[in-house]
Amino acid sequence: MVIHEVDVPGVGKQYEVATNGGTRFVVIVHHDGRREIYRREGADADAEKLFDLDAATAREAASVLQGAEFQSLDLDDVAVPLGDAIMEWVEIPADSAIAGETLADAGIRAETGATVAAVQRGAETFANPGADTVLEPGDILVAIGSRAEQKALQSLVATDAGETA
Amino acid sequence: MAGVLFETGVAFLALALTGALAHRFGQSVIPAYIVAGVVVGPYAPTEIAGVSLALVTHGEFVTTAAELGIVLLLFFLGLEFDIGYLLSQGRELALLGGVDFLVNGAVGVALAYALGLGPLGAAFLVAIVFVSSSAIITKSLTDAGWLANPESRTILGTLVVEDIIVAVYLAVLAAVVSGGTLTGAATSVAGSFCFLAVLALVAYYGSNHVERVFDVGPDELFVLRVVGVAVAVGALALSVGVSEAVAAFFVGTAFSTTDLVERIEHLVTPLRDVFAAVFFFAIGLDTDLRVVGGVALLVAVAALTTTASKLASGYAGGRLTGLDARRSARVGIGLLARGEFSLIVATLAAASAVPAIRETVPPFAVGYVLVMSILGTVAIAHDGVLTSRLA
Repeated sequence: MVIHEVDVPGVGKQYEVATNGGTRFVVIVHHDGRREIYRREGADADAEKLFDLDAATAREAASVLQGAEFQSLDLDDVAVPLGDAIMEWVEIPADSAIAGETLADAGIRAETGATVAAVQRGAETFANPGADTVLEPGDILVAIGSRAEQKALQSLVATDAGETA
Repeated sequence: MAGVLFETGVAFLALALTGALAHRFGQSVIPAYIVAGVVVGPYAPTEIAGVSLALVTHGEFVTTAAELGIVLLLFFLGLEFDIGYLLSQGRELALLGGVDFLVNGAVGVALAYALGLGPLGAAFLVAIVFVSSSAIITKSLTDAGWLANPESRTILGTLVVEDIIVAVYLAVLAAVVSGGTLTGAATSVAGSFCFLAVLALVAYYGSNHVERVFDVGPDELFVLRVVGVAVAVGALALSVGVSEAVAAFFVGTAFSTTDLVERIEHLVTPLRDVFAAVFFFAIGLDTDLRVVGGVALLVAVAALTTTASKLASGYAGGRLTGLDARRSARVGIGLLARGEFSLIVATLAAASAVPAIRETVPPFAVGYVLVMSILGTVAIAHDGVLTSRLA
């Protein structure tokens, strides 16, 4: 992919990105930090202005474009019942090492620190499952834990049966 | 003291009101500010329904604030001066500027000779009719959403060259005006170029130190330092007969390569806009509409001929930079507006020793800028009427 960068005298800089469809995505960065977003249908078409962003908003929008984890709201301002913890949905693949085991045997809490708050199986939901609940392939675990714990859980679930055997 | 404060208050209120009106109707603020000066100034209209409108006189405060406006306008021009851009686009820019200056300047010369104003008058008219308004045009291009189109680069590139030509031109004109006689003028021009050369060198080699010297935390101290240097160097220049505006331009260039540009743009721009508004207002104060009416025919002829010549030079510039017919036509349309620089040149003409120039050029410039600034803004907003058949 090529990004064309040109000076816009007295204004700032212009960046132009040709997208897959041939439409061009044009960004003008003003000296004062303001960004204007334009779209151009093709090389000969006139640019159509889409957005006007200030520097701070532009940076946030950019992190969304970049695919970086975005924070939908400022966490300080919102009462978060879970504190640092987040809730995630993890599906158990057919070849998972923990498929067929009970929650206790799989050692989810012991090994990852995450807590399974519910198990979704098809249309049914088992809330607050006991330690003896047997996990089946295709189950979706509703897990609560910190980001690190969620990550550990995901890798545990993704371990296929062949690896541990 | 209360009187001066009252006049100043009226002046700013009038500017705020006319500025808001202009904004409301998508017009440039420059003609609006001039009109504000005309309305509350000493010349007609002096009353409305028995209420006096001659509220503000052109006193010391207005004079000084207007002067600051000129200094800051040119300082910002210097600030945006990008030597790297000039060098990398040198050939193209020289071509654009050359065509623009020759075609439009020729019309200025013809107008001056038709009026019998002589070579000095021609020098003034050339500058007034040739230089487009960077302020109005950059704003209009942004508003119309043209900035991302290829013709904008040609338009803005042309403006960059025009601004440089005007800076040099102002230096010469100011020296000639203050020199008086031919030999006096020659010495004065030589002297001012020596001063400016020294200033340019200091600006160039001082850039490294500038960053250190101006690296202060609190914003207000930073602003004071920047404005202090720009105005003091301008005053020093004026005391040795050099244009204070051009001196401020060079001060601006000293900052242009530093990391301070963004901070200055952010903090000093509002100050520039306030004082520049007073500059346009002051021009309005000095404007007697009856005198402008006396040069109405000249204004009309100049507006017609220089609109044609700008459209032609812009079209040629567009073609030279590889644009198609429609976009080239837009370059001409985009460059129609005249504004701040034409008026700065006219301010200089008001100080000329030649009565014919002193009496004709300033009112002409005001009438001309009023017409061309509005025409230029409207033309950009409604370019489709003019260019649709070229598509």
